[in-house]
Amino acid sequence: MYKIFLRFALLVLATPLLLVAQPEFASLDRAFAAQRAKAYEAAVAAFQEAASAAPLRADIRKNLAYTLLKVGENESARDQFRRAMELDPADQSVALEYAFLTYEAKNDQVPNKALARRIFDKVRHLGNATAEQAFQTIDLPLAQGIARWTQALQIGPESFSAHHELAELAEQRDELPMAAAHYLRAWQLAPARKSVLIELARVRTALSEPQEAIAALLAASRGGEPRAAERARELLPARYPYVYEFRQAVLLDPTNAALHRELAYLLLAMSDPEAEKEFQTIVKSTPKDLLSAAQLSLLYSSRREGAAAMANRSLQAGFLKDALHYLTIAHESDPANYALMLKLGWTYNMLHDDKSAVEYFDMASKSSDPAISSEAAEASDNLKPSLELIRTTAWILPSYSTRWKDLFAYGQIKTELNVGNKWFRPYLSTRLIADTRPTDGAQPLSERSFILAVGMSTQWRRFTSWAEAGSAIGYTSGSMKPDYRGGVSWARRWETETKFFLETNADEVFISRFGNDWLSYAQSRVGYRWFVMNANLTADTSRQHWANFVEAGPGIRVHIPSSPKNLLFSVNYLRGLYLVRDGVPQHNTFSDVRIGFWYAITK
Amino acid sequence: MPLRNSVFFSILFACTLHGTNAGYSVVGPEAGSWPQVLSSIGLLPSTNAYVTVARAQTPESADWKTYVDAGGILILEGESHLSGSFGFISDHSVISIASIVDVHAATSLILANPLILKHFSTPKNSVVFAKDRWSDTPVMAGMQRGKGAVLWVAMDPGKLGFENLLYLPQALADLGFIQPFHSQRTWAFFDYSYRTRVDVDYFASKWKNAGISALHVASWHFYETDAVRDAYLLRLIEACHREGILVYAWIELPHVSQKFWTDHPEWREKTAVLQDAALDWRKLMNLQNPDCFRTVSTGISEMLHRFNWDGVNVAELYFESLEGAANPSRFTPLNGDVRREFKQEHGFDPIELWSTRRDPASLRTFLDYRALLARHMQERWLQEIEKAKTFLPDLDIVLTHVDDQLDSGMTDAIGANSSHALLLLAKHNFTFLIEDPATVWNLGPQRYTEIAKRYPASPKLAIDINVVERYQDVYPTKQQSGLELFELLHVASLAFPRVALYFENSLSTVDLGFLSAASAIVTRYEQIGSTLFVDSPHGFLLSWSGGAKIDGKQWAAQNASNLIVPAGPHSIQPAPLTGSLLTNFNGELLSASSFDSRVDIQYSSNSRALATLDCEPSKMAIDNQPSTVDRVGRTVLLPAGLHHATFTCK
Repeated sequence: MYKIFLRFALLVLATPLLLVAQPEFASLDRAFAAQRAKAYEAAVAAFQEAASAAPLRADIRKNLAYTLLKVGENESARDQFRRAMELDPADQSVALEYAFLTYEAKNDQVPNKALARRIFDKVRHLGNATAEQAFQTIDLPLAQGIARWTQALQIGPESFSAHHELAELAEQRDELPMAAAHYLRAWQLAPARKSVLIELARVRTALSEPQEAIAALLAASRGGEPRAAERARELLPARYPYVYEFRQAVLLDPTNAALHRELAYLLLAMSDPEAEKEFQTIVKSTPKDLLSAAQLSLLYSSRREGAAAMANRSLQAGFLKDALHYLTIAHESDPANYALMLKLGWTYNMLHDDKSAVEYFDMASKSSDPAISSEAAEASDNLKPSLELIRTTAWILPSYSTRWKDLFAYGQIKTELNVGNKWFRPYLSTRLIADTRPTDGAQPLSERSFILAVGMSTQWRRFTSWAEAGSAIGYTSGSMKPDYRGGVSWARRWETETKFFLETNADEVFISRFGNDWLSYAQSRVGYRWFVMNANLTADTSRQHWANFVEAGPGIRVHIPSSPKNLLFSVNYLRGLYLVRDGVPQHNTFSDVRIGFWYAITK
Repeated sequence: MPLRNSVFFSILFACTLHGTNAGYSVVGPEAGSWPQVLSSIGLLPSTNAYVTVARAQTPESADWKTYVDAGGILILEGESHLSGSFGFISDHSVISIASIVDVHAATSLILANPLILKHFSTPKNSVVFAKDRWSDTPVMAGMQRGKGAVLWVAMDPGKLGFENLLYLPQALADLGFIQPFHSQRTWAFFDYSYRTRVDVDYFASKWKNAGISALHVASWHFYETDAVRDAYLLRLIEACHREGILVYAWIELPHVSQKFWTDHPEWREKTAVLQDAALDWRKLMNLQNPDCFRTVSTGISEMLHRFNWDGVNVAELYFESLEGAANPSRFTPLNGDVRREFKQEHGFDPIELWSTRRDPASLRTFLDYRALLARHMQERWLQEIEKAKTFLPDLDIVLTHVDDQLDSGMTDAIGANSSHALLLLAKHNFTFLIEDPATVWNLGPQRYTEIAKRYPASPKLAIDINVVERYQDVYPTKQQSGLELFELLHVASLAFPRVALYFENSLSTVDLGFLSAASAIVTRYEQIGSTLFVDSPHGFLLSWSGGAKIDGKQWAAQNASNLIVPAGPHSIQPAPLTGSLLTNFNGELLSASSFDSRVDIQYSSNSRALATLDCEPSKMAIDNQPSTVDRVGRTVLLPAGLHHATFTCK
């Protein structure tokens, strides 16, 4: 009796101490009382209180979990079983509870089923019969399902649902490479379903392929289904993705315009020239992406303006190859700019690449700007014959001279053979030299004949050298004389945008029939539009007065409207000074009004 | 409505008689989708508003504070001087919002199209209910004030009413909003496998509070006798009956049971790739096989015998799948019996349709044969179920059939032809429960109005709402919840005499509190003097305190918080409480009176009716004939049909 009393007294005394030492006791009392009364909400609250007070007690978590099961809060119960399992890993019953609830979880069903299968597998190896049965119940249908869907795919290999079903089954069975392959194929068959990329990323992560996982998440997070995008955003690292991660994602999802766009802007922010390429990809694949189109246009504009400015500077400085380089960049940036095409045409022309020049002139000739189109068309027409196998050029210069009181006519028809070598160009020539007043030998070059000849010309930069051998046939006398001639010529023209121009040409000509004479001409004209100021120098090795003089004077040169476009009418008034006095008729100066036409045509 | 008048009428609102005010009004140039939002939780347009929405740019007025202090609930939309006067102030910075975290939701709400919104600060005494997922910018916040409350929302509810403010009703409830009407007519599907460890008594009470009147229990889990499972189902049926909830056996043929599938590999259905047809959760059997048919028929009869069922739901009795012939790996039926019969009738084996015979005409022939086969199956199984009336005389029968009127592709996809099935109504007494096909689950609530238009009007029609994760890319939640669910339920309840929800386990706890309000259809609610005039097609529960007279007669059907109002137009007046009461009834109540411990009711019901009293009934008479009191607790099981029941309590 005494012992019983003593024990009771000790218990009474110890209870408050125990309550102080173990504060969860009171909460647990309330929890169990509420549970017995089926007041489950109150029981849950009290168990949660007890769990907070004693966070290392697995049994409280278990009781809380079982109470949550009563009210159907399976997800919360699962969380509590997981905590209990972590606190007491040796408790197989808790592990099984957790596994069963994980298997039945509403959310993330596929990975949860896979997790449950792994837990059952682990516990069954400890000799647990329930785990063994659960494992087999799960595993066998999975194996059968995989076999069934594999067979179905052999019959219809392009089925999204078959690939997806197979991927899910494989993931549940931890056959991860198979799961990854079929998730990928399923997504490729239905690329709008970005949620499949999240599944792919999950498997990639499980396969320890973090880069591939990030690529899939990144692709899912940009564009497409907003839900998948938000989910992917949650799963991506908190930091902003790196460029190489974007590049991997683009490789995975090359048609993802939003991904390209973000990568493009990232590159743009980093001043990486690859940004332009990304924008080009977007605009090509998604023409309605006006934002990207606008950005690309800005990039082009910026680059074009820079290139155009450099091209102009290079042209002004005479660095034609540099000018060509910058004009090409500007043209790529703005392929619809006809003025640039025209400039490219001229630059190629100046670089003696007439084939390319003609291509650009032809493109520029389609401009809606009539000034550009006509200039380009004319240039193209002028250059095209030079590219033909056979080119025939004809020119004629009839003129009247008050000094000689005579009407002269000079002309030539020349047919060239284009052998593809600018250094060697053979031709046939027929020259006409005529006047209306027979001379008395005072002007020996004056004659009335056709000169038929075979010739060859060669070009180097602005110099052209030529040589002919033929016969001069007097069209009034019928005489026929051998004729050899040749020479070197050089010509250049400068013109400002304000239509001021300077043109000059120099010719050195050898003629066999007049005592093997060498004649030199230097003729220059400065002018504005149709007005010209001439300054000419003529000399020869025979020192004849008519061939050694200087002259200068004003004139006009105009194209008469409605006349052929290559026909020019000119009137010049020249005052001259003989440089050789010997044989000068009366005065050592002369005046001359020359009225003439110039017409040339090339076919 | 002019602001001044709106406020003037609103502050007059005061509690109507002994009931709750049910009016709402929207102040602003356009109401937008607010009427859909507010009607989905039982409110009616009224100048005497319990809830008032002040749309963006509403000017400030002191009257609004008076309105709220007097008990009104003011919803402030976006930026306005009025919002500012309550402390919801924009700092004019803007933010793009694509994802919202709501205190009522476990997962983020995703917006189909990101919204550009101003950043607002909220008053210190307010509660933030929803905010941007990434920046924490508030988008829905509120506070109680006086007897009422203010709820501020950053944006309008969206075009359909649920895109942006999904859990607005729950926020209103947190602020003290009282739902004026309830309904107790909704059916819900139940799957044991999700509820094996729950306390069924706890859940029965929960379902009742959510307005559930019948549970359609997945019966394939009980096809074979199993002591543990059988005991569970007996407990479940008892608990449901106690709470006034009917229990139907939901049959999902050609799926019979997992064990049946395992035990009878020889009767398994085949797909067009000649695999066993284990499709999703269903393991399909070949019911065209006579031996299989006989065995299943016997099994179902035994299963119906073992339990106290109130009805049977023969559901989705056709073929697979929604992808139709395009996906042979899911296409049924290609079992040997079907192939043989079809070949005899049409001269070729239908399996050739996926190999050597790919012409449309051949496929057409098989699809037509298949649709006819489905119709014959349905009729045959209705006849089999009707045989159970020999031992369950009040058994109510339901045929759940997918809609093929809105989505006409269903007939070819799964062999379902509602026109064929509706013809069966001429020969059999059943409710035709229309299931909206998965292909239209992404469409808005108005689809139920459209579906209803395509069927002949009948009290035997019902509609099923699938509350599940939809395969379509839908927003803001993958599974219907909050306002989307309430709007679906409300519109469906307007369009059809009965609504079923698939399924009780998928319903979020956070939504349960509003289901009975969403399903309540009240077409008139008007107070004139001391009399309330109401009208409703199916009856409803009116939030009420104290006794009442309906149409001038003392009314004996009410519980502590609600008056059970019968269908049709009625006048209601407050009256003192007298006698015993009918506290719950799940048939159509025609009259209810009491004198001391005696309660008299008249009712009609397709199924058994469950009447719950506030006392223990010791005697009962049906149509003035003494009858055995078949009861669970205080709930009495009454026969189907039109009857007069009299209860006498101890």
